[in-house]
Amino acid sequence: MTTQLHKTLHEDIHLFGGKDVDLCMNCGTCTVICPLAREEGGTFPRRIIRLIQTGQKRLLLKSLDPWLCYYCGDCSENCPRQANPAETMMASRRYLTSQYDWTGLARLFYNSALTEILAIVLVGLFVTALFVFLHGPMVLSTPVELNTFAPVKWVELGDWIMAAVLSFFLLTNAARMIWNTLDGKQMFRISPLIYGKAVPVFFDHMFTQRRSRQCGSARSRAFWLKHLLLVTGYLSMLVLVLILLRWFQTDTIYPIYNPQRLWGYYATIALLYPTGAFMISRWRKKEPIHFFSEASDWIFLVMLFLTALTGIMVSLARVNGFPMATYVIYVIHLSIAVPMLVVEVPFSKWSHLLYRPLALYLVSVKKAAAAIPLKTQPETATA
Amino acid sequence: MVAMEKQIHTDVLVVGGGIAGIQSALDMADQGFKVIIVERQSSIGGQMIALSKVFPTLDCASCITTPKMSAAAHHPNIQIMVNTEVNALKTVGTGQQVTVTRKATYVDPEKCIGCRLCEYACEIEYPDPFELGLGAIRAIAIPFTNAIPQKAVLNPDYCTTCGLCARACPTDAIDYAQEPQTFTIQADTVIVASGFALNSLQVKPQYNAAQSKNVISPLTMERLLAPHAPYGRVLRPSDGKVPGSIAFVQCAGSRDETIGVPYCSRVCCMYAIKQAMLLSGALPMADITIYYMDIRAFGKGYEQFYQNAKAMGINFVRGKVALIESAPNDDMLLHVEYTEEAVNPCRKQRHDLVVLAQGMLPQWNVSEHSALQRGPDGFVASPDIINPSATNLPGVFAAGTALGPKDIVDTITESGAAAMAARRYLHRQNSDDNQSLPHNTAVVHLMQRTATEAHADQAAQARL
Repeated sequence: MTTQLHKTLHEDIHLFGGKDVDLCMNCGTCTVICPLAREEGGTFPRRIIRLIQTGQKRLLLKSLDPWLCYYCGDCSENCPRQANPAETMMASRRYLTSQYDWTGLARLFYNSALTEILAIVLVGLFVTALFVFLHGPMVLSTPVELNTFAPVKWVELGDWIMAAVLSFFLLTNAARMIWNTLDGKQMFRISPLIYGKAVPVFFDHMFTQRRSRQCGSARSRAFWLKHLLLVTGYLSMLVLVLILLRWFQTDTIYPIYNPQRLWGYYATIALLYPTGAFMISRWRKKEPIHFFSEASDWIFLVMLFLTALTGIMVSLARVNGFPMATYVIYVIHLSIAVPMLVVEVPFSKWSHLLYRPLALYLVSVKKAAAAIPLKTQPETATA
Repeated sequence: MVAMEKQIHTDVLVVGGGIAGIQSALDMADQGFKVIIVERQSSIGGQMIALSKVFPTLDCASCITTPKMSAAAHHPNIQIMVNTEVNALKTVGTGQQVTVTRKATYVDPEKCIGCRLCEYACEIEYPDPFELGLGAIRAIAIPFTNAIPQKAVLNPDYCTTCGLCARACPTDAIDYAQEPQTFTIQADTVIVASGFALNSLQVKPQYNAAQSKNVISPLTMERLLAPHAPYGRVLRPSDGKVPGSIAFVQCAGSRDETIGVPYCSRVCCMYAIKQAMLLSGALPMADITIYYMDIRAFGKGYEQFYQNAKAMGINFVRGKVALIESAPNDDMLLHVEYTEEAVNPCRKQRHDLVVLAQGMLPQWNVSEHSALQRGPDGFVASPDIINPSATNLPGVFAAGTALGPKDIVDTITESGAAAMAARRYLHRQNSDDNQSLPHNTAVVHLMQRTATEAHADQAAQARL
């Protein structure tokens, strides 16, 4: 087998935030210190760093290891060269995201914060323009008639179009990830039964992130809970907006204990508290995971925080009967939420929502496939 | 008794009586200069006298050190001051004014004849520092068998002043009321050969050395392997068991930014290989594994030495040990990534004796006592790259591990170089004073002597 070496790979990773790759002298401390790698026969982070150092792009693309790391920072703390293996893992995740993405936008956004912000602003302006030109009649009496200003069926249609477009990009990217990591042809040789049996793994990890609880001593116990809260908040938001919008966006003001309002408040808290806490931690560099922040990390947190904040403000304005405020904040809310989803979900940090559980799914598929003994040639009886 | 301030003059003052200091002192004294060696401990010989063998020749270390020690002790131009520490070094004119304090040993060195009657009479024993706690020594004793000078030293931390030694002493040398004495030495030139210390075994908490007696220092292993070893054979400290599986953990105290020692200690690879070789001789059934990041076998004959060790069946594993856990029966579980293995590289290996390759640190903080500058690593800085034994102070030179981690061969070479540089400095000072070199005749005599010696050596070689 020939190995193609890409001499620019480590410069590439440098662009994605892996700035200390060259310091590593491959002692293996990081791999042993990592509780996930140590207990599960893993080979990361050292092998990932080695692949980057030696320019083995194909093997890096094939590797699922970057997605198995949850970034506790133990490896960076113990590294004798202070080569920051945890941050290199993070950079390789960013790099892989950009490699799975066939449009090239992910690479553009990761490498230039300006472009990412510009893209967000453009999409935001587009959404604002849609409302400015196409909004329904503004009824300025109480109770607020939001559904007259922005009829729910049109908003829902918009949601679905957006969801379809984003899913298209995200799923094609995910397909490329599967193709890369299962080596193309091998993908079809694995029995569908194995693929089917491993499906629970995907949902298990997507909804619980159970493995991250084994992470090292440097990570606070509360981190897992905060992250889980964020996931539930985010999934609540998706369900409310994509599936239950007709039930969620109403003009009737329900009592405060009504599930519609309670769920909304829960989603708000579940988004605001973790994003707020993570921003403070990133600012103060409190947890190892927050020592290094790329622009993409900040944009992700700020946009999510603002989405939740404007969301709750729309609700407050509507319930308390401020029609004009409701309409304006509603437009602002969508002008933040839509570009966040469009830019972040398929092309930036949010894609890990799919890639990480998918990686764990693929690992278990691979493991199950490898466990099946190879068909041996029937022995021919010799005379 | 009030400590008396004494004034002494000397041509050369050597700080440290290890192999570097002894070599520099001999080289200077042979050229006719008056030399004083100031040694902190009770005997000269430094770290080398405690070693078992030297690499890569596997020569006996004390067989090399002891003749040099006694040559220095018997040299008419060398005066040895043991139990003496340097307080301050100050440049005065072209020379140095050095104040030193001789610690109280409670034995008058002028009267003591080294008969050891006091030691035999003493009834108190404590862990022997020379054997690194493996054996015991009396509260008043000659520091170790081949110590120079052979003068008894009383340890006030353990002595109960029972008077048994004083009654036993035939020369009435014991003086319970002895006080430290301070001297001022006017030295024309100073050679700093203050040597190295090892960092703590517990410097990396990941290695759990505080929990286990069987995680030992390489110097302890040297004592276990020495011909005059405390046990006479290799036994592990916790229970005296003959170890069956010994691990050497390399870079356990150096090349590690997390403990502030980013540099390489330069000798650990080689002594680990040497100890592994000696162990496979002492314990033919034992499994010996060396966990390393790179084997740095850079000296003459070193690579061959390493290849020999591999051929002898010593197991070399590339990977840095990241964790050491306690296992039942006082054993240790080492976690290490076998970086050259493809499948399941993270492994746990059980060993019953572990040697941590501790890092070399400077023994003496020179800048606390003088205007000498230290480098970022804490060792004496040598600002001139083509004159490595020179320091920032004119007339003060340094040699051996005071300048940075190095092996014995390099230390001795550098000590000769430091002596040469010091001699040249003295020569310049004297010619500036428009005086002829006072020791010219001595030098000529020495050159003749070395020529005859070389001739005799050649004859001896021919006979072999």
